[in-house]
Amino acid sequence: MNFSPWIILFAPFVSAVVILLITGRFKKLSSYISVAAVAISFVFSVAVFFGPDGTASFNWIDLGTFQVKIGYIINDLTRLMLLVVTGVGLLIHIYSIGYMADDRGRSRYFCGLSVFMFSMLGIVLANNFIMMFIFWELVGFSSYLLIGHWFYRPAPPAAANKAFLATRIGDFGFMLGILLVWSASGTVTFDELSGRWSTLGLSPEFMTVSALLIFCGAVGKSAQFPLHVWLPDAMEGPTPVSALIHAATMVAAGVFMLIRTYFLFQPSATALDVVLWIGLITSLLAALMATQQDDIKRVLAYSTLSQLGLMIAAIGLGAPQAGMFHLFTHASFKALLFLGAGSVIHSLHDEQNIWEMGGLQEKMPVTFWTFLIGTLALIACPPFAGFWSKDDILASSDRNIPAFLAIAAVTYLTAFYMSRLFVVAFLGQARSEHASHAHESPGVMTIPLILLSIPACIAGFPFIASIFIKVPEHEGSPIGAMAVSLIAFAAGAASGYYLYKDKAKDSIEIPLFEHKFYFDEMYASLIKWTQDLLANISGFVDRWVIDGTLVRGLAGITWGAGFALRFLQLGNLQAYAFLFGAGVVLLLYYILFVTK
Amino acid sequence: MNFLVHLIYLSPLAAGVGLILGLPARKTAVTAAVIAIVSAFIVFIGYDRATGGYQFTSFLPLVADWDMNLSAGVDGLSATLLLLTSIVALAAVWLAPKVEEGEHRYYACILLIAAGAAGAFASLDLFFFYAFHELALIPTFLMIGIWGSGNRQGVAWKITIYLSIGSIILLVGLIGLYLLPSPEQRTFNIVKLQQLASTGVFSGPGCRSVYFLLLLGFGILVSLFPFHTWAPQAYASAPVPVTMLHAGVLKKFGLYGLLRVGLPLMPEAARHWTWLLLILLAGNILYVGLATISQKQLDLTLAYSSVMHMGYIFLGIASYNVIGLNGAALLMFAHGLSIAALFAMCGELRKQTGTLNYLDLGGLATSMPRLSLVFGMATFASIGLPGFANFASELLVFFGAFKNSTPGVGFNEFQIVGAIAIWGVVISAVYMLRAYRAIFMGERQARWQTVKDMPLKLGWAVILLVAALLVVGLAPRTILDAVEPGIRLFVK
Amino acid sequence: MVTLNDYLIASGLLFAIGFAGVLLRRNVIIIFMALELMLNAANLSLIGFSRYNVHNGLPDYNGQVLVFFIITVAAAEVTVGLAIIVALFRARQTTHVEDITTLKF
Repeated sequence: MNFSPWIILFAPFVSAVVILLITGRFKKLSSYISVAAVAISFVFSVAVFFGPDGTASFNWIDLGTFQVKIGYIINDLTRLMLLVVTGVGLLIHIYSIGYMADDRGRSRYFCGLSVFMFSMLGIVLANNFIMMFIFWELVGFSSYLLIGHWFYRPAPPAAANKAFLATRIGDFGFMLGILLVWSASGTVTFDELSGRWSTLGLSPEFMTVSALLIFCGAVGKSAQFPLHVWLPDAMEGPTPVSALIHAATMVAAGVFMLIRTYFLFQPSATALDVVLWIGLITSLLAALMATQQDDIKRVLAYSTLSQLGLMIAAIGLGAPQAGMFHLFTHASFKALLFLGAGSVIHSLHDEQNIWEMGGLQEKMPVTFWTFLIGTLALIACPPFAGFWSKDDILASSDRNIPAFLAIAAVTYLTAFYMSRLFVVAFLGQARSEHASHAHESPGVMTIPLILLSIPACIAGFPFIASIFIKVPEHEGSPIGAMAVSLIAFAAGAASGYYLYKDKAKDSIEIPLFEHKFYFDEMYASLIKWTQDLLANISGFVDRWVIDGTLVRGLAGITWGAGFALRFLQLGNLQAYAFLFGAGVVLLLYYILFVTK
Repeated sequence: MNFLVHLIYLSPLAAGVGLILGLPARKTAVTAAVIAIVSAFIVFIGYDRATGGYQFTSFLPLVADWDMNLSAGVDGLSATLLLLTSIVALAAVWLAPKVEEGEHRYYACILLIAAGAAGAFASLDLFFFYAFHELALIPTFLMIGIWGSGNRQGVAWKITIYLSIGSIILLVGLIGLYLLPSPEQRTFNIVKLQQLASTGVFSGPGCRSVYFLLLLGFGILVSLFPFHTWAPQAYASAPVPVTMLHAGVLKKFGLYGLLRVGLPLMPEAARHWTWLLLILLAGNILYVGLATISQKQLDLTLAYSSVMHMGYIFLGIASYNVIGLNGAALLMFAHGLSIAALFAMCGELRKQTGTLNYLDLGGLATSMPRLSLVFGMATFASIGLPGFANFASELLVFFGAFKNSTPGVGFNEFQIVGAIAIWGVVISAVYMLRAYRAIFMGERQARWQTVKDMPLKLGWAVILLVAALLVVGLAPRTILDAVEPGIRLFVK
Repeated sequence: MVTLNDYLIASGLLFAIGFAGVLLRRNVIIIFMALELMLNAANLSLIGFSRYNVHNGLPDYNGQVLVFFIITVAAAEVTVGLAIIVALFRARQTTHVEDITTLKF
């Protein structure tokens, strides 16, 4: 039996337990324990990467006819994802030692990170739907913990609640989907399902509905439209958390899950179409919103949304490999960008507004250059990593003209808002007190930046990428797609650069984008007019109708009947005697005359 | 070893009587609770899962003509519930506050409630099954009426009359059940009744009405919608140990009754009334869930949530298959622990701050890090986070509900109610997280700066509860393997 | 010739007078006496029935025995009743029924 997957999975768990129970008071020790746990997971992930396929499991619940299994499955997808999660995770853990050096809740923070690594690795390793759902929920919980890390401020707890609830709404569909799939096929194991699903002779509607319900889980976790609203708010968490959870790994779990369960979507063209268009809508909306944001982390958050939308769209286009490729490259450069942003924020004393930055090139050279690499990778500049993977997605859409155009538009917008971000935040003159006194971050933070910029540069080259992933091959015209991609990139980057060069404030104002299409306001009133209204009605009915009227009514009738009957008690003996006599007379009359 | 089962309910009973006679209050009570938990633990561990059936049985004839006996014994289900009872009872006795006046009576009442619940779970005789539960109602009334808060006397009358009506309906049902077989076969012995059931004595329209009475009676005791309005106010104003014992343990009597008497004896009648149960439990989950969201105080939120969660257990029972029933049994255990822990900490909050209103509180995690940590764990347990027992059981309940469907065909009534129940998980996340955020997170008001953290006394009690939740949550087979053989017996 | 009917009419009249007394008079002692009158009306009718219900040349003595019982019980009852009235008068300084309405709510 191969123990490596179990060690990968449980090393962070042990770390979380140890920090929670024993080392909570020793903040430094806690952080080292957490880092050591991820390092162990990473080492074993590398071992697994070069090891054989395999699967094993044990019964977590055994009811004879029904078992819930905890088990792992090692295949190409698992190997790559393990490497991404533990690799990026390790660097971000190390970075966190520097970033959180002054935080008094450090033990809690690292405990949360360990819980997150444990749950994320559980999703990656899971060989069946139920186990995936278990860790799926745990990931949401650790995200809640880490977003709400600064619980004593007003905004983070609200963001944490929002994130947890939005993903729970997605999980509602996910659980229903799992149950439908299970009730139809009798199994939840991916291996058995992938062989059995299309041979069950199910009606196309049933297959579409089950697939779309499963997709709901991804919509929630990967923050797709219409549940995308939580991700930008999740930026209230510490920046390394945003990098690890809300950019590189957890939000990619939805994409990963879709790839893992692609066999459910394959038989249903309708389901794939829905997936495609949800992905594209998210991608476009997020890119538009990103163009008007002033908070450096929010711009990155919207770009994450947009890129996740592209991955989802790739799956909808029937090219899960392209989606996975983009997930792989995106993880490295988006983590890089967030960590770079974190470095800037850290050095500017928690300043996040890009208009208060500027002139950072000389003061923070490492951050500057690595951030530039990350930006170029994200906006698909050849030959950086993002270019290759985005090109793959674009190329796989060449039979679907609207999708092709939408992806091209997203490419253009990405180049535009990222060059805007870069130009405003890093170039020009320092526009605030803090910005003029900026200094480079310590080595524990810059070294992860440098390490992450390596895959951001080279991971896309086909000969390197093919070590990690089966790079999709295209028939048709990859040259055409590449040309469009290049034009979109160049136009976007150029317009962003010239519009925002040496500007002190935003010259374009589009309130619709700035206010995120008013989704938050819409949802707030939707909740107010549906859930809260229903809740208040139920509360009112419960208090005043069921309890107040029915229960108290019954009690009141009993009491009232007693009260009414009291009036027959005159207390006058003679009245009683008279009534008694009258009764006798009536009875006599009845017996003698009526019954005869 | 068979006397151990008797020890679980006799030790609190004897200690309760002893307290009234003047033994030292706290020491005696804690000793009795420890004896009970040790015996319950030995019984639970010693229950032979491979053999199954009723074990640790003992038998003392009382009224031979009616075949009424003092008989006790456990199967996996009752061993689990006895363990739950003794855990919650120990926690409740342990954290009981200092009482200025009538400390002996206070502790005696707690012990008697625990003894009543344990006795009902341990009895294998219909009469004692019923009588022990009634025994627990009286001290509940006294505790709320004397040591409660708010409108305590009105609430005490309300819960007592309401539950008595439930009990009377139940009594009529049980008498009907007793009278169903032919005169020479009549017995109070639950084991014999279960053997009789296989001969088909309990079928036909008479049986259906008897089952209806049982469902109604048990339902009122478990706060089945729409007979739930006794619960919120009672839990809000009862003293903390009573709320823990009632919401955590005593309320499970009705569910236990359905699993012990209702389903095994009258499967056909149970299936006949499934539609009604499904409608009512959907009310528990959706309607009471929404009503929970509208609450503005922690105690009422918790009380309503405990009513809501009964819906899940009922769903497991209604689904009537191995998966759902095991889920229901596990959820009884899990919910008992989590709600007891939550109410225990809610009582501490009330004591420290004097208010439970969300608008008044906030940012308490800074002042009370330990309490907020354990409260957070219990919160996430109650909204079904994996790792806690609640998740495993809710998962089983959902799978149980979906088991009753034609593969590959749309939604039948079980699946619709199942979907409502899954949506209920979202609802419970809404109100519990809202409560947690309002109380512990955000900016701390100046007046809460001096609030003290959880005292060690309370800490031990809630850690006992939460640790049990975690152990069972991480390894649900500890309980399921014991419960499953008993359930398999009457589910074909 | 005196017939059973004459006895019964006399008894009925006595009963009616007694009943009217119970209903109309306000003084408890008078009511009490009227009550006695009603008892004796019943006695009279019992004796009448006894005398005219002849078997084998003998009247039915059951009725007459019953009358003795009633007289005995009535004597006991008068004792208790008068004692109550005396106690009542001591407590309330009145024997009028309008003044004694404590049975009312």
